[in-house]
Amino acid sequence: MIKTDVAPTLAGGPTLIPTDMPTTNRPMNMGQSMDDNTSRLDGVAKITGAAKYSSDMLLPNAVFARFVRCPFGAANLETVDDSAARKVPGVIDIEITPKACTYNGQPVGHVVAESPVAVNRALKALKLNWKKDSVKTSIRDTKQVGLLKGNAPDADVTIRAVYSTPVQTHSSLETHGGVVDHKGDKATVYASTQGTFSVRDGFGDALSLKGSDFEVVCEYVGGGFGSKLGGPGKELMLAAKLSQKLKRPAYVMCNRAEEHLDTGNRPSSVTSVWLSLKKDGSVVGGEVMTYGGVGVANGGGGCNVPSGRYTFANVNKSHEDVSFNAGGPRAFRAPGRPQGAFAEELMLDEAAAELGMDPLALKRKLAIDDVYREMLDQGAKLIGWGERKANGSQTSVMRTGFGVGIAGWGSASPGGNAEVVIHPDGSVESRTGTQDIGTGQRTTMGICTADAIGIPLSMVTVQIGRSSLPPGPGSGGSVTSPTTAPTMMNAATQARTKLFEVLARQGGDNAADFTVKDGVVLKRGEKFLSWKDACAKLPADGVMGSASTGDGGKGNSQGVQFVKVVVDCETGIIYPKHVIAIQSCGRVICRKTAESQIIGGVIQGLSYGMFENRILDRNVGAMVNPNLEWYKILGPCEMPHIEPVLWAHGQTGVKALGEPPTIPTAGALACAVFNAIGAPVRHLPLTPDKVLSALEGARS
Amino acid sequence: MGFATSQSSMNHQSTQSSATLNGTIAIRFTLNGREVEIAVDPTERLLDTLRYRLNLPGSKEGCGEGECGACTVTIDDLPANSCLVPTFQVRGCNVRTIESIPTSSLQPMLETGATQCGACTPGVVVTANWIKEHSSVLASHTLRALMAGNLCRCTGYDGIIDGLEKWIGNPKGGRP
Ligand code: FES
Ligand code: FES
Repeated sequence: MIKTDVAPTLAGGPTLIPTDMPTTNRPMNMGQSMDDNTSRLDGVAKITGAAKYSSDMLLPNAVFARFVRCPFGAANLETVDDSAARKVPGVIDIEITPKACTYNGQPVGHVVAESPVAVNRALKALKLNWKKDSVKTSIRDTKQVGLLKGNAPDADVTIRAVYSTPVQTHSSLETHGGVVDHKGDKATVYASTQGTFSVRDGFGDALSLKGSDFEVVCEYVGGGFGSKLGGPGKELMLAAKLSQKLKRPAYVMCNRAEEHLDTGNRPSSVTSVWLSLKKDGSVVGGEVMTYGGVGVANGGGGCNVPSGRYTFANVNKSHEDVSFNAGGPRAFRAPGRPQGAFAEELMLDEAAAELGMDPLALKRKLAIDDVYREMLDQGAKLIGWGERKANGSQTSVMRTGFGVGIAGWGSASPGGNAEVVIHPDGSVESRTGTQDIGTGQRTTMGICTADAIGIPLSMVTVQIGRSSLPPGPGSGGSVTSPTTAPTMMNAATQARTKLFEVLARQGGDNAADFTVKDGVVLKRGEKFLSWKDACAKLPADGVMGSASTGDGGKGNSQGVQFVKVVVDCETGIIYPKHVIAIQSCGRVICRKTAESQIIGGVIQGLSYGMFENRILDRNVGAMVNPNLEWYKILGPCEMPHIEPVLWAHGQTGVKALGEPPTIPTAGALACAVFNAIGAPVRHLPLTPDKVLSALEGARS
Repeated sequence: MGFATSQSSMNHQSTQSSATLNGTIAIRFTLNGREVEIAVDPTERLLDTLRYRLNLPGSKEGCGEGECGACTVTIDDLPANSCLVPTFQVRGCNVRTIESIPTSSLQPMLETGATQCGACTPGVVVTANWIKEHSSVLASHTLRALMAGNLCRCTGYDGIIDGLEKWIGNPKGGRP
């Protein structure tokens, strides 16, 4: 069923992936997964709107609440007049504490009412007297970052540059929050979270209940990308408080603006670098100074350059986090990596241009191992790198560029638990409490169970996303599948062994005599009973296998991405045309969800590279684009064709797949733009104004 | 409706008076083929009426400002962002939500991976269904252009467009 040692069938295959490759059947990815064809098990529920997210838990008699927030980057709330707001029909309570705030969106209290309409009206009717203070809104408000001095004595070429990246917000389509339904001695928490169990454990005394007396439920999560990791968050804490106080279900969900302001982000970065190289491309010295823009937080702004994926000799690194008046960061898909990769990849392309080298040849030389080199060779063929023209050599209005970047990710498995029950009617239940944030957890758990037992997937039902189920990891650091897949397979194998023991006892055989293949139980290789008939011999409550995995080892995933763009040199608009995303992912469980993860990483990287930018007003520190119109994310018309290539090459074990595909994209895109126009754009996002000024600079 | 706008009234310089509207408006409209009679606050959004009062949470709120399309419904057979429509405006109209779309026909969307986290999906499907029912628009527009009002943070859109092509039986997705 699974082949772990086959190479992708690309070698003798097409050298260029056509852009109309069907999403249902990508020939180069077939035959490398436990399951090539299964579509998401919860796809029907999602497509028909039947899937119930936490934000859909509209319980009878619920109250609705929202935070009252500071509208400026720094301001003191001096007086509060809520008399008009309290008169709004449906308002239950208003609690506001005057205080000094240090970022736009900081809560100072809340309004709770019978309906969302009443909440919004009351918020508008509040008369709050804010005294504004002066603000700092960026790294450069505090730090003068200039070009670094220095070079290696034996260098042939030294480049110096400053790169920067903006704040990117997670922009999950479902915002943060949830519903708490407190019933006195019991409670249910409907949480939009990436960590069912960290929410359970994070309430502390806030629910006045033991963890076993309340249940956290998150059967569907509308995206998180890191921002929904950890404990309950202030939204659920407020819901917990209100539900207890009012003895009614309490509903607290952020709106889009609150989501941008106060639910975390990818911090901004500034990287200043000098890098010395020899004629042959070897790096012989350098210095990298990075700054992370962490808003009101004190840390969490790491910028991963040098990444360790290229061999750099004698390159020193220092980093400083810089605070200012804005919401702080939270983990965001491969924290610190995309910002670092942007600087690193573009810096190497600039060095290659100075050396008169093909950047692919330079990166191939500097890459730390042969897996990267093989991937680079394969990807170059697939994107058609041979068509690449020398930097800046094109004179037409529409210029084509090619760029490449590489990625790596490793994280240790935190351990988890799973149960599989085989029932006398032949149905099989697999259970683990971890949540599905869109990755396909439900589907992969089902496939693992069916595969380990040897039955069709249609016989398996999967239960996830509840704290009453066996505890599993939070969906962060790409550990969910690497942790839960082997655990679930162990549990399924144990349940199957227990079934064999029952059969053996009844017939005086050995449990080891039995196997299952394609839903048929075999005894010493001969057909014995159909699955259903065999299960009918089980006791009324069936048999259960349960498994736990402790903290696990680290599995490394590697990837390379090639981007082809066309740049309109009259308007400065860039059009990504084609992305090849090669990703090692060990033992692939489900082809379709794996491909979907890779594509999802790429689009967020492209969107980061082209559009996304939290813009703060420099005078008052308010975010001027707290929506999805001016905080633009990639739409269907800007989307290039993305080809995910699963790289199985002799790999075993399930590996990380969520984070790595978003690491190299923006860097590869910037390299492609540099190739097309002949001048580097060193500051993300690559908006038309920056492209045009870079072109202008190249001309003069 | 956005935060920025609502917060501006918190500024002490604001002259906006407090909301004093107590009256509601009684309306009738057709919802997924059945008559509905309801009294609504003049500021109540159709999305909220559907989700919070009529128990139809299939339509999602992604932005609340007409940018993402997660709340898409059809009103008198035209797609609309229900977060932008005051409910009283659908008086006498025919409103259809995701809950009215026959599930049996949706298989192609499933197979191509048109959904990941699924938060955008109901809106995507309502728009897609409208295109399918009005496929003459494909003579002048690509599927991609027609889907431009539906944002998705997860799937990369290829799965959505391919699913639609299969579902509609039209090969004019409009590849980049
Ligand atoms: S919620 Fe209506 S368009 Fe986004
Ligand atoms: S599937 Fe997550 S937003 Fe579209």
